[in-house]
Amino acid sequence: MHDVLGIVTFSSNAVDIRGLGAYRSDGAISFFGRYRLIDFVLSNFTNSGIEDIQIYVKKNPRSLVEHVRRGNYNINSKRGSLKFLFASSYRNHGLYNNDITCYMENIEQIMQSDKEYVILAPSYLVNKINYNDVLKEHIEKENDITVVYTPCSNAKEDYMLATTLVLDKQSRVTKIEPNLGKYKARNISTGTLVMKRELFISLINKAANTSSLFTFADIIKDSIDDIKVCGYKFKGSVFRIASFEEYYKSNMQLRNRAATEEFMDPHWPIHTKTNDSSPTIYTEDAEVSGSVIANGCIIEGTVINSVIGRNVTIAKGAVVKDSVILPSVKISKNSHIECAVIDKYAEVKYVNEIKGTKKHPIYVKRRDRI
Amino acid sequence: MASNNMVAMILAGGRGSRLKGLTKKVAKPAVHYGGKYRIIDFPLSNCANSGISVVGVLTQYESVLLNSYVARDHHWGLDGKDGGIFVLPPREKDQLGLGVYRGTADAITQNIDFLDQEKAKYVLILSGDHIYKMNYEKMLEEHIEKGADATIAVLEVSASEASRFGIMNTNDDDTIYEFEEKPENPKSNLASMGIYIFNYDSLRKYLMADGDKNNSSHDFGKDIIPAYLNDGKKLLAYRFKGYWKDVGTIDSLWEANMDLLNNKSGIDLFDPTWKIYSNDSNAFPQYIGEKAEINNAYITQGCTVYGEVENSVLFTNSEVEEGACVIDSVLMDSVKVGKNVELNRCLVMDGVKIPAGMKFGNAKSDEILLITDEEIRKAGK
Repeated sequence: MHDVLGIVTFSSNAVDIRGLGAYRSDGAISFFGRYRLIDFVLSNFTNSGIEDIQIYVKKNPRSLVEHVRRGNYNINSKRGSLKFLFASSYRNHGLYNNDITCYMENIEQIMQSDKEYVILAPSYLVNKINYNDVLKEHIEKENDITVVYTPCSNAKEDYMLATTLVLDKQSRVTKIEPNLGKYKARNISTGTLVMKRELFISLINKAANTSSLFTFADIIKDSIDDIKVCGYKFKGSVFRIASFEEYYKSNMQLRNRAATEEFMDPHWPIHTKTNDSSPTIYTEDAEVSGSVIANGCIIEGTVINSVIGRNVTIAKGAVVKDSVILPSVKISKNSHIECAVIDKYAEVKYVNEIKGTKKHPIYVKRRDRI
Repeated sequence: MASNNMVAMILAGGRGSRLKGLTKKVAKPAVHYGGKYRIIDFPLSNCANSGISVVGVLTQYESVLLNSYVARDHHWGLDGKDGGIFVLPPREKDQLGLGVYRGTADAITQNIDFLDQEKAKYVLILSGDHIYKMNYEKMLEEHIEKGADATIAVLEVSASEASRFGIMNTNDDDTIYEFEEKPENPKSNLASMGIYIFNYDSLRKYLMADGDKNNSSHDFGKDIIPAYLNDGKKLLAYRFKGYWKDVGTIDSLWEANMDLLNNKSGIDLFDPTWKIYSNDSNAFPQYIGEKAEINNAYITQGCTVYGEVENSVLFTNSEVEEGACVIDSVLMDSVKVGKNVELNRCLVMDGVKIPAGMKFGNAKSDEILLITDEEIRKAGK
């Protein structure tokens, strides 16, 4: 699929991963032991044959750039391209720091591309999608814009405030509205869009000329009567990580082996940066069950139903249950941790018990020593 | 080339025939070890960590996989502008035709043009099939400081083991006066590790002279070192302390893996200042199931464990199903252990699938059982 420019979209203000998001761009958030969120969208792009990719970054680019630059996403290092683009002038301007200002500032980069189509996808989405299938339907149905959605049968509780699509019988989008939890079944937009590059540029211009607060989502909503915007039903699993609660929940759901099997397809590898960690060692005191564990860990304690990141040490007598432990965390002797998310490099040393609930897990900050 | 002017040449052509089925299709340096590594990752990572940037890898036996593996020099960070890993299998030459490497020294002699082109001042000769962590830059410093013509890394072995090695007999100042290959009555316990630093100018002369001799076995230990000693050259023993293992047999390969479970064995792959680099797989993190029981194990990404694993090492993508029991064993890459299988003191070769209910090995046996596809076929009859 050589005629597509892949765009990892600027994160919207609706994405707020409390705590974790304070230190890095959303795409750089550690996820599921050995990944960062952006690995999923980038792997989907390159596995679909898209080797020309632009990543729009809102804030704190350091960890994202470091990770992606050294990740091996299978892109031809001469012909392919992976660009980071920022909106430098509006960085500290809250509302004004939106996707349209960022696209406008980098419009030359989009205009210079020789690709006919663009595919936009956010970095907060964990799924396994072949964009060739979406593009094929987009061309066959002669859509102006194709929006990938996932049907949700529990919208009264899940996907709160997510964008939902109302479709007619031909899958044309007739209405776009936020999920306020009023209906049980809703079509949730994944924020993944296919269109011609020319249309993308003209919509950016139109949005910029309408209002400086207009986002790309606003301009699509504004245009559904004039252009043909259709839905594409994605049947695979989707994990949206737009909030702290969703972050915890997705890790826990993926911990279930059946859910991961979809992602273990050798023909659709999820690429990431290697850390050259040793394999993990379990000592004779270790008790582990129902858990996903990355390399480089030293496990001497008990781990139950948890996700453990790279290079974590869990000392003798410590218990970690229903928790997500990010890379390089140290859990000292006899600590008891339940329903918590512990951010990178933190050290649990002086408190014996950290206990949240599955609905409200506790968050321990990066590099904290508690 | 890095500032130290030293080019490393890794001898990786050996078959390692005592590893039986494991080296039927791959050379010994490419054999998997320690969950996620291949043996050659150790000398390559040592080179990268020692500030060496030009590494030649001399391959011969079943070299297709090994050649393509080491050619990806970025895995070890050896892809700097002036450096790289250079794969050097035997080649056809003008006048001489195609000649295989006749010995360790001949492999270097046949690549003299490569060393000339790299303008090496020092040459480091290494084996591709040893497991250890060593800073070659320190060895070079001593070589230069003491004004040696050649420096040989040695390891203190027990008196009973000494007759299995090439032994260096040294003076008080660690200069070598005699080399004995597998002596019956060893005079010293300093075993050669097959790691040499030479000043390239003089090595070049000795290699050229050796190449012309018909009665030579073209071997560093048997021919080059004795020739240096004969001429009264200054040979220095460099004492290495730490973990070192030549995994020549199934038993020793199994043992080297078991050493990873024993924190007194001296091998530490967790040290962030001296990482061993490898070609990381795209596998998901390891999954330990609800009913799994893990007791003393070394497990890498891509593994799934639903059964019991005790005192064992699991390589990439290996699987242990429910009810299975793996004790004192090594499961190499992508091994599948079916339901209710029992393994005790086994080393299971890459890719072998053990059908449900089979039992192999024995807690009391002296030898480690190598399980290949053939073993499974025989057992199935």
